[in-house]
Amino acid sequence: MNDFDPSLPIRAKRGDDQAFIQLVEHYYPRCLRFARNMLGSEQDAEEAVQDTFVRVHDSFPRFREDARFDPWLFQILANRCRTLMARNRRHRSVIEYGEIPLTASAEHEIGADWAEEVRVVLDTLPVEQREAFLLRHVEDLSYEDISAMTGAGLSALRMRVKRACDALRTRLTEVTESER
Amino acid sequence: MNDERDEMIERAARVLRTPPQVRSGTVARVLMAVRARHARPASRWQRALWWVADTSISARGAAVLAAASLAIGFVARGTVATSEPIVVASGPSIELQPVADGDAAERPVPVALVFEQANARDVAVVGDFNGWDRAASPMVRAGTEGPWTATVLAKPGRHTYAFIVDGTTLVADPNAAKATSNDFRGDASVMIVRPD
Repeated sequence: MNDFDPSLPIRAKRGDDQAFIQLVEHYYPRCLRFARNMLGSEQDAEEAVQDTFVRVHDSFPRFREDARFDPWLFQILANRCRTLMARNRRHRSVIEYGEIPLTASAEHEIGADWAEEVRVVLDTLPVEQREAFLLRHVEDLSYEDISAMTGAGLSALRMRVKRACDALRTRLTEVTESER
Repeated sequence: MNDERDEMIERAARVLRTPPQVRSGTVARVLMAVRARHARPASRWQRALWWVADTSISARGAAVLAAASLAIGFVARGTVATSEPIVVASGPSIELQPVADGDAAERPVPVALVFEQANARDVAVVGDFNGWDRAASPMVRAGTEGPWTATVLAKPGRHTYAFIVDGTTLVADPNAAKATSNDFRGDASVMIVRPD
């Protein structure tokens, strides 16, 4: 894969259309992954990511050229995901964790069951914990960046990530032991 | 705090890091959404047509509106008869909503290009729309096996292009018409870009 050109955000901000295209192409898969993990729906994730890039384009005048692009982009994306979740809460009934049918069967690979369980646990986490866990452990952002993005303090963020990890560990340990 | 990272959390994170499948033409759709947000008709008449086209209209109404729009050199947004999907080379057409303004015939249109060669390490698009500059339009792919994709901006009309694989090999698009020019020894393709 081609290396990322760090001058792209600044060139895109200054009106270089080709730079904006390359920026979208570079970040789209990563943004889609985060949105899909946050929202649990491919369609909602695509909508959130498209809205994000429209807003990025609109907001470029406010992007400081000495700032890092990733945290700025993910701040907008996280906000779009929250907005979509709030909208969906108004339109959809909430599925409780206990109501989700466990599809584990002999036909499935063990790894597939495990992966599905990860997603199930993720969906049951409070939004703030899910967001903090994904930004820290999946998107690999620093606590300082996440704090700047979300406005939450460092200790609060560490606590959110810890609780998310505890929930994952508890459930995944059960799954691992049942597989033995 | 030890950042909570251990083998189990790392294994869970690996599941969630799996790159998603990105549908062909997605980036072009994003660009059209950006463009749609910025394009606005200028005159009072255009604004009136914009508003009418934005509402639900009958097929007959659409035909009348299309005729009226063309008469003043303006293609209305919506489901009027003049709407044409934008070509996506080597992939499915994207249903896009043309945007209202007056210079559609000259304005560059986003075109999604797709190239499949699993063992390529690096692919770029070159063509008359980017001055045959191999650094202008690098292709990307999710993961290590998916198709290579890029979106280029090209003015409406006929364009010659090719893919450069691993920095050295010029390859025609296997899913497009070949260029007849001797300049490329048949290793280039042709696409026709329609106005949006």
